[in-house]
Amino acid sequence: MNAQTNWFGETMKHAFLLLCSIIVILPFYLMLSYSFKSPVEIETNTGGFFGAQEMMVDGKCLKAGRPEAECTMRPIVYNYTAAFSEAPLLRYLLNGVIVTLSIFFIQVLIALPCAYALSKLRFWGRDVVFGLVLFCLLIPVHAIALPLYVMLAKLGLTNTYAALIIPWTISVFGIFLMRQFFMTVSDDLIDAARMDGMSEFAIVWRVMLPTAIPALLAFAIFSVVAHWNDYYWPRIVITGDRDLMTPPLGLRMFKSDLDGDEYGPMMAAATVIVTPLVVAFLLAQRRFIEGITLSGMK
Amino acid sequence: MQRSHASVWFVAPAVSLMIILLIAPVMVAAMLSFTDYSLGNQGFEWVGLSNYETLLNYSSYKKMFSASLTYVVIVVPLSVALGLGAALLIQSLRFGGEFYKTIFFLPVMATLLAMAIAWEFALHPIVGVINDTLSYGCDIGWMYNFLTGAWYGVDPASSWYGSSCDQFFPLWLGDRHYALGTIAFIGTWQIFGFNMVLYLAGITGIPRELYAAAAVDGADSAWNRFWLVTWPMLGPTHVFVLTITSIRSFQVFDTVEALTRGGPSKSTYMMVYAMYEKGVLHNLLGIGSAITVVFLVFVLAITLTQVYFVNRRVHYS
Repeated sequence: MNAQTNWFGETMKHAFLLLCSIIVILPFYLMLSYSFKSPVEIETNTGGFFGAQEMMVDGKCLKAGRPEAECTMRPIVYNYTAAFSEAPLLRYLLNGVIVTLSIFFIQVLIALPCAYALSKLRFWGRDVVFGLVLFCLLIPVHAIALPLYVMLAKLGLTNTYAALIIPWTISVFGIFLMRQFFMTVSDDLIDAARMDGMSEFAIVWRVMLPTAIPALLAFAIFSVVAHWNDYYWPRIVITGDRDLMTPPLGLRMFKSDLDGDEYGPMMAAATVIVTPLVVAFLLAQRRFIEGITLSGMK
Repeated sequence: MQRSHASVWFVAPAVSLMIILLIAPVMVAAMLSFTDYSLGNQGFEWVGLSNYETLLNYSSYKKMFSASLTYVVIVVPLSVALGLGAALLIQSLRFGGEFYKTIFFLPVMATLLAMAIAWEFALHPIVGVINDTLSYGCDIGWMYNFLTGAWYGVDPASSWYGSSCDQFFPLWLGDRHYALGTIAFIGTWQIFGFNMVLYLAGITGIPRELYAAAAVDGADSAWNRFWLVTWPMLGPTHVFVLTITSIRSFQVFDTVEALTRGGPSKSTYMMVYAMYEKGVLHNLLGIGSAITVVFLVFVLAITLTQVYFVNRRVHYS
């Protein structure tokens, strides 16, 4: 192969990949663009990416009896303020943070000691417990949703934070992952800690936890991304109470009570919900890819 | 002695949660599938296999099975092929590979529900950018000739593009002939970047010497090297990618619930959505549980197939 054909091949590859990139980026582009534009520009599909940003009057604001000067603003300002004022978007975001972080911390609290025992302690029934972990890995979450919903409903727990968090407190995948990681940790480290008179409990949290930070970080990304984006489970257990809705569910409600020209604010809300993870991903790409493809690591 | 005491405290919470939150629900689902239970009722009747008979006999459930399987049959090959293709192309680039990798992985990260709504805008029959672009192309000579196949001697009016130009472009999510394909397109869009990353990891794991050895054996073209070395060496990756993509495709929910609610005329009525609709919205937990059990059987069958292939040693390490 000479340099000429190589160069040609390289260009063709770039051309093809760029075309694919445009298709992949399209919904992100539209989401951002619509979050900038006025209702008219969205309806008529004009205004390019940013829209003309001509002053517009907010009809609802006028109806509320405010002076016209106060109700006149640029579309981008209108869209983002409406996103936060027409729906409790801040509340949704806060719920998202509360739910994802609680889930992650409880998962670690339960999984870490169990993984330690499975990898470093000898006790009766250890193989049975590990067998149970492997068996539970086979159970898909969608297959237990209805019975869990019935159980929570019977306990009167639907429409609570507990309903959003409890089903995810056990992560068999987390146990499996941590156990595999602890298997690689040297026994000498643990023996030394025991010599120093540390209790088993202290060993878990003061010796094993610090050594497991890299694996925990990957697991944190895996868990947080999954539960921030999760729509299925919140949809089932949160039925009316907006104050408990997670970001995707809140966005869905926005969509259902859409009246006419609220597309701009809805896309602004979508942008706000998608942005944190996308920005974090762009900043720490390698870690994110590692964390999300964790399930591929066996 | 003290040590074994500690292990009980370490293992007990995890084991009890596994039993309460994972094992028991599977058993409850299996049990409920033989009843006519509804939330709020005092009791329930055992109805034997009648829920399963309903699944087999009613046309809406037949549509459910066919929609789910069709979706899987579209999304799995497409996203695997695109993932592998993207990985191979990116890996062979001299520069810029990281850039495409980042872009193709974005849909995996982003909240699917939000992106589904953005796609709905793009696919809007009247103001959507997709139909807008397509109808714009009707008036451009070379594009019209290219897309209708007129350059190849095809009668423009008989081609899909040509007849759409003459009449109208599809309603996509609103047309029962297109809706499932459109949902499958969004599913493929979302998942292929994940497969790409797994394939990239697999490709990096192939020892360079194998390519040198293949070259000695006369595999001089990129095509030969691919079939002789890359493809077989990716065996374990293939098995894993196929398994996880199939399972994920069976679990499609967000796009269905937000965009079509199973319609038009049940064309996108897929299993996990049906489970939700029957069990939660209609409060028919018996039939919902029966769907759950069938779903579980499908997923377990896929996983067991994976285990079978892994044990057959599809890897050469």
